[in-house]
Amino acid sequence: MIPGAFDYHAPASLEEALSLLSANLDDAKVLAGGQSLLPLMKLRLAKPEVIIDIGGLAELNYIREDGDHIAIGALATYTDVAESELILSRCPLLAQTAVVVGDVQVRNRGTVGGGLAHADPAEDLPAAILALDAELKATGPGGERWIPAGEFFITMLTTSLMPEELLTEIRVPARDGYKSAYQKASRQAAGFAIVGAAVCLKESADGGCEDIAIGVTGVGDIAYRAERVEAALRGQKLDDGAISGAAALVTDGVDPIEDVNATPTYRAHLAQVYVERTIQAARAG
Amino acid sequence: MAKADPNQYVGLAARSKEGPRLVTGKGRYTDDFTEPGMLQAVFLRSPHAHARILGVDAQAALSRPDVFAVVTPEDMKRDTKPFRPGRYAAGLKKPIAEYAGAVDKVRYVGEPVGAVAARDRSTAEDVLESITVDYEILPANTDVHKAMAGEDASVIYEELGANLAWQGTLEYGDTEKAFREADRVVQENLKIHRYSSTPLEPLACIASYDRFSRKLTVRTNTQVPENIYDALRDALQIDDIRVIIPDIGGGFGQKIHLIRKYVVIVALLAIKSGRPVKWIEDRNEHMMAAGHACEQHFDVEAAVKNDGTVTGLRFKEIDDVGGSISTLTIHFTNKLNNLSNTYKVQNIRADGYSVVTNRCPVIPNRGIGKPGMCYIWERIIDRVAQDLDMDPSEVRFRNLVQPEQMPYTTPNGNIYDSGDYPGLLKRALEKVDYPALKEEQAREREKGRYLGIGVVIGVEPGGRNAARDMAIFPEMKETPGSGGINGATIKLEKNGTIALYLGSPNCGQAHETTTAQVAAGILGVSPDVISTTTPFDSDVAPWGVAAANSGNNFHLYDIGSIIGAATQLREKVLKVAGHILDAEPSDLEITDGVVTVPGFPRRKLTFAELGKAAYNNQSLLPEGIDAGLQTTFYYTFPHAQPNLVPGQDRRVRAQFTFGAGAHVAVVEVDPRTGKVEVLRYLIVGDNGTIINPGVVDGQIYGSAAHGIAVALGEGFVYDDEGQLLTITLTDYGKCSTAETPNVEVEHAPSPSAFTPLGQKAAGEGAAIPSPAAIASAVENALEPFGVKVRDLPLTPERVWQLIQEAQA
Repeated sequence: MIPGAFDYHAPASLEEALSLLSANLDDAKVLAGGQSLLPLMKLRLAKPEVIIDIGGLAELNYIREDGDHIAIGALATYTDVAESELILSRCPLLAQTAVVVGDVQVRNRGTVGGGLAHADPAEDLPAAILALDAELKATGPGGERWIPAGEFFITMLTTSLMPEELLTEIRVPARDGYKSAYQKASRQAAGFAIVGAAVCLKESADGGCEDIAIGVTGVGDIAYRAERVEAALRGQKLDDGAISGAAALVTDGVDPIEDVNATPTYRAHLAQVYVERTIQAARAG
Repeated sequence: MAKADPNQYVGLAARSKEGPRLVTGKGRYTDDFTEPGMLQAVFLRSPHAHARILGVDAQAALSRPDVFAVVTPEDMKRDTKPFRPGRYAAGLKKPIAEYAGAVDKVRYVGEPVGAVAARDRSTAEDVLESITVDYEILPANTDVHKAMAGEDASVIYEELGANLAWQGTLEYGDTEKAFREADRVVQENLKIHRYSSTPLEPLACIASYDRFSRKLTVRTNTQVPENIYDALRDALQIDDIRVIIPDIGGGFGQKIHLIRKYVVIVALLAIKSGRPVKWIEDRNEHMMAAGHACEQHFDVEAAVKNDGTVTGLRFKEIDDVGGSISTLTIHFTNKLNNLSNTYKVQNIRADGYSVVTNRCPVIPNRGIGKPGMCYIWERIIDRVAQDLDMDPSEVRFRNLVQPEQMPYTTPNGNIYDSGDYPGLLKRALEKVDYPALKEEQAREREKGRYLGIGVVIGVEPGGRNAARDMAIFPEMKETPGSGGINGATIKLEKNGTIALYLGSPNCGQAHETTTAQVAAGILGVSPDVISTTTPFDSDVAPWGVAAANSGNNFHLYDIGSIIGAATQLREKVLKVAGHILDAEPSDLEITDGVVTVPGFPRRKLTFAELGKAAYNNQSLLPEGIDAGLQTTFYYTFPHAQPNLVPGQDRRVRAQFTFGAGAHVAVVEVDPRTGKVEVLRYLIVGDNGTIINPGVVDGQIYGSAAHGIAVALGEGFVYDDEGQLLTITLTDYGKCSTAETPNVEVEHAPSPSAFTPLGQKAAGEGAAIPSPAAIASAVENALEPFGVKVRDLPLTPERVWQLIQEAQA
């Protein structure tokens, strides 16, 4: 339970971090809160030769309002997000999701940027950033680029970040006037999502669905938007029948994964139940 | 002589003596100790479930200057001897040599193949990667039914010729007649899965060897010093052994059996390197290789009269014992401990089959086979009720042993010392208002809410008798240790305080608190002036075969020896004081550590004055009395006959005291997800006379939480190749506080007729009936769907599948 030997760097600036990363492309791993990487290293499932510890970079640790967006530095912790007044008032789905990630220790140490860049298929936050149409800022030696959330996750543990890039910011549009909820099935309160559903929706006064976005995690290789469910509900009256009918489409075109927690059949069934219940929970506020 | 009152502090919720130390992080566990020059060890483990070891190359490791010793299979064969086949392997057709580490084959993933002692842990882990093992991979055997059908994928022990390693039958009464004359026969197939007790602290050991005196000292967190003592002697041929047991971070059986393998190999590293060696197991290793509870399959039949009377029980049990023969029959033979549970039935037959598989060996684990036996009884009683359309509690009332039958001898020779089983069940049903609960259930079902009520009852045996195993192995010529023996030492110190030295280690059950309460009443002092010396040290502890933090032994042997030692010390105190005070010892009284002569207020002697006299002043001692105020007493259970050793009739006292508990579980099942929520969990328990209610309640909460969690999803999962898929607590499904229901406890003690205070056991209790209670409640909740619960665990997916299957 002790990692193999590695060289350790704690850069003092983002610029230094990027140059270290470029200099060690094949054998470096970036360490932020350490809640995913360190357990893998202790089991020697990951044996990086170089660790670039960006955990001390204050310039990446912020949550601020930016017009009709909220900008979250990659090093904000889950607890920072869960407790941010700004996020709670303008984009509560993120806080509703961050507050059920792992346990207290994981939330206090783990960073949103680190969690997203790790791209674990059972991570909670991807569902929320997909449902919120967030954008992720990748910073590399050549400058910055913005990646839409829907294009960020490529496959299990793989993102569209280039090897020389760091995820530096998550930019989320404020969702004033929306209702939202995140619910997950997990074996323990602190457990990973077997299935997680993030719902952000706007209802008209007569209960019609003006807008809805649903992010689903835990089901497939990567988190995804349940676009068919959304399409089936948009413009419809949100009654129980419409919701459960639409929720049945949640795994269309998705191959549910199999692991010790659930078979694909059960996962697909749970996805449907959780999408349905999370929509209801969002409506109930 | 003035009367001692052992009961003076009995029943008092005295403040825990060790609790503050342990909960403030001041406990001293094995890993807290270091020794000069100490090395760190790690184990090389098998990645394969079944393979032949063709060769091991450790040259690269041995050539490093920071590596001080390596153990390979060659070393195991050359430098150690196999363990003696214990009482659970006594029925093998051919004895099989089992070494501490793998020598020719590996038989489960995680089996230790070798070990390294290096300057530090990180070096040792690095070095491990340089050792290469040449394996010839063999087909893995993971299915007991295939073994039963003679379709072994490969034979795990060539000496046995097949993986069905043992079979035997126990029969009491006349089951043929009972089934012939039954109005009906109710049949069911059941299964309990592999699980663990997941102690917070994994296995740990520090070994050091003095080559000049040839003395081996091990500091380890074993629950049973005898097992370590015997294992080291047998494997290393060393007689002078000292076993020190510091604070233990939970045991529950996990630290009784397989721990010996590791202690032997760590000791060998210490001998080879000439340095102290520490080994701390990690969580993954613990999950893979420290031992599992047995997967047990039961085919059960009950012979039943139409009024609900059960006249006979027959069951066939198939045990998946994993890749070792050393615990071949442990889960079957433990069925003798509660074979008839709380019921009057006179005719019982059990056919046991032990199958070796390429999975982790099974070990003793909170209740061992007893949760399985209770599961057999409580599930089949529910089936009988369904078959006869009776309320399940009514069938239980009809079959319970009655209080006026106590002491009651069971068909297999157990003697139930006391108990009011109908009273426990009645009280539990009253507490939950059973009729109102059933009405609520019916009302809620109308609304689509599925509530379930499970009502079960189980005995909780205590004490030990290894002669029990002769009942299934009549070929054993001598008993493997009948009954139990353990001791205690008490000393009145020069300052008037009292020091206790217990014969057993403590793994978190507040032994220090409880023993002080008992000794205080006898000695006439406050429990506050009594302290217990830790750690356990086999060089000085008055320990015997029952010096075991296991098997529900503490209440009998430790309390018994404390009472004996304290009573002898009191006698001596009074003799010395009588001499000094010029009074008859029988006229003296002791209050708060002061000996007085009633009626003469100025003639008194404090314990401090007595201490000074006894250790410093020869002229004050009466003639014929040894100096010092220290007594040691070894206790053995005085009512162990009859049936201490089984004869031709195979009747035996498997244990000696019998508590009991009635459990009511109220659950709600979400039929769409299969998730079970425990809304209420109530236990009305008989633990005999309770010495410290806080301690006993703690035991009950813990054991109930254990059994409930096991029923609802904790467990090990292997794939068909014998790879363990649950090597972390997360994948294992470990319940946290958030998932653990509140457990309500009411005490309804029936003091034991056989023990000095009327005390009974409390450590395993609630883990025995709780899996059955949850199964019963879930089945009851899903009655409208026609679901039958047969197998554990009831994970949400499994419950959902049961509903799908029932509706298909």
